Amino acid sequence: MTSGQNGTGQEPRGLTPADLQNVRFTRASMMRPGYVDAEVDRVMSRVAEELGRLYSEKAALRDEVRALRAQVEHLAEGVAAVPEPPSEQAVRILASAQLTADNYVAEAEEFSRQVTSEARAEYEELTRQARDTAGGIIQAAQEAAAKLADGVPIRSDGGGRSVEELEEQVAYLKAFGQACRVQLRAYLEALLSDVETEWGRADPAAVQAERLLPPAQRSASELGAGGTTFVGNTAAETAFEDGVQVVHSAARSEPGS
Amino acid sequence: MDVAAMRANFAKAAAAGDEAPLYFYSHLFLSHPETRALFPVSMAHQRDRLFSALGDVVARVDDVDALVPILQQLGRDHRKFGTVAAHYPAVGASLLATLEHFDDAWTPELAKDWTEAYTLVAEVMIAAADAAAEQPAWWEADVVAHERRTLDVAVLWVRPRARFDHLAGQSVSLETDLRPRLWRYYSPANAPRPDGLIELHVKARDGGPVSSALVRRVGVGDVLRLGPPVGHLALDSDSDRDLLLVAGGMGLAPLKALIDQVARHGPARRVDLFAGFVTENQIYDRVQLERLTAEYPWLTVTYAVSDDKTSSLEQGDVGDVVIRHGPWLSREVFVAGPGVMVDDTVSRLLQQGIPRTRIRSEVFAPSRMGPSLDGEVTE
Repeated sequence: MTSGQNGTGQEPRGLTPADLQNVRFTRASMMRPGYVDAEVDRVMSRVAEELGRLYSEKAALRDEVRALRAQVEHLAEGVAAVPEPPSEQAVRILASAQLTADNYVAEAEEFSRQVTSEARAEYEELTRQARDTAGGIIQAAQEAAAKLADGVPIRSDGGGRSVEELEEQVAYLKAFGQACRVQLRAYLEALLSDVETEWGRADPAAVQAERLLPPAQRSASELGAGGTTFVGNTAAETAFEDGVQVVHSAARSEPGS
Repeated sequence: MDVAAMRANFAKAAAAGDEAPLYFYSHLFLSHPETRALFPVSMAHQRDRLFSALGDVVARVDDVDALVPILQQLGRDHRKFGTVAAHYPAVGASLLATLEHFDDAWTPELAKDWTEAYTLVAEVMIAAADAAAEQPAWWEADVVAHERRTLDVAVLWVRPRARFDHLAGQSVSLETDLRPRLWRYYSPANAPRPDGLIELHVKARDGGPVSSALVRRVGVGDVLRLGPPVGHLALDSDSDRDLLLVAGGMGLAPLKALIDQVARHGPARRVDLFAGFVTENQIYDRVQLERLTAEYPWLTVTYAVSDDKTSSLEQGDVGDVVIRHGPWLSREVFVAGPGVMVDDTVSRLLQQGIPRTRIRSEVFAPSRMGPSLDGEVTE
């Protein structure tokens, strides 16, 4: 019998498929066809032995895979199954350490709050005093200047009264300006919404078209050119004012024409 | 899932007050020390937030339609804190340990229900975070200018290093390395600019760790981290009504952004801004606002001082001054400032007959809390 180049290996190596394919049995004799029994038996017992070895190896590997898989699952399950959860004592110690730290931080913040707010109060008090002092000095200077400007005072309280009168007038004008502003704004707001609804009712396309005007043009036509603020823009307001009496009856006519 | 039993169990932990979150965080940091770096030094305010957030979740646990958007927002928001998917099981384990610790009648069924519920919550949050992964978790931004305008107000200009999209009137949370892990919300005072710059108005609150650092310690060249912008005030894109803007103190910032928006993108409309301060010298942005009124004919700015007898400006609460200048019936109104000022102004405007739907407001608390229910913004 020949079994390829391997024949009988010195070291126990596995039986390969090639080994089996290369096995050649010698014919027994012309009289009795077939292989030599002894050779066949030897090969069969080697095959059996090899298969046995493979089976046991497979079983060992299967056990190992199971063990490893269990280990992986155990790890993936996480942390719930971490070998040793922290002890109650450790948790208590860390908790009290954390509380101590929290208190220190809170105290530091509170201290900083007190220091800054006291500093601010002092700063504000000083500024207020300085402003009052400055105000007093300026007033005294103005009074002195007024007296000097009057020359020989014909009426002892003349300067004071005129300042008072002026102040009164300024206050009156301020209030008057404010009232005008409010009136005009109210009027304009009403007019704008009126115009928009009336136009929309009569000719919805007109509102559409007005909306589509480029922003620059819109603001120019609403506010008038040149004015820096809406309230200061007398040109546009006067223009609207001309249409006051006709605004409801002829809202569709061009306002201000 | 036995929701009633879970609620009863949660109530026991909640009843323990500060003890429960204290136990939870200690447990978490001991079993996963790497998570400690995600939190600020002082955990005091963090603890308040955790259980109120959990309480909100538990309250809505059988109303999935309401719960899911909240969880998604939470998941997205947590990206900027450096939260990754691997942290979620760790939190879940410590949460379970806490709920067990405070309940003498803990059962395996409760453990199973909570595990299921938490797994769902974590899945929704992680999925939302993953979906937002194409945008950065946070943006680094260089401070390119820092101006002290008054004793305690500074105006900062920052330039994000990557493209940062926001809308005029939105708020942005930010963090400085000087105060790690403390995030605060501020409103940019400009609409998006071609050069990407963002203008921030910051008032140092006495004892406020972040605001005082931003005003007094941060300087040009420092780096801030910005979180994703969140919506508050925003112009209605299909309205072209004239605007009435009412600001109290630092509420000026988002309203200035709206002015910038009108200037850049229209539509053309008249804009009246009323800015209220206590004294005249607190008007920290006056020069800049006057430049704007000179440039834009459609803009009017009126200042009001509430406690400054020597000032020649309008006297009184800003809400009162606004009414004196009225009526404003056709206007779209935006109000921003301290709570008292906002409430006062809004109620006066409602009395005037302005419909509620046309008034939008934002309250500026001394320390700007986040809009999310979990209170990611620590204070």
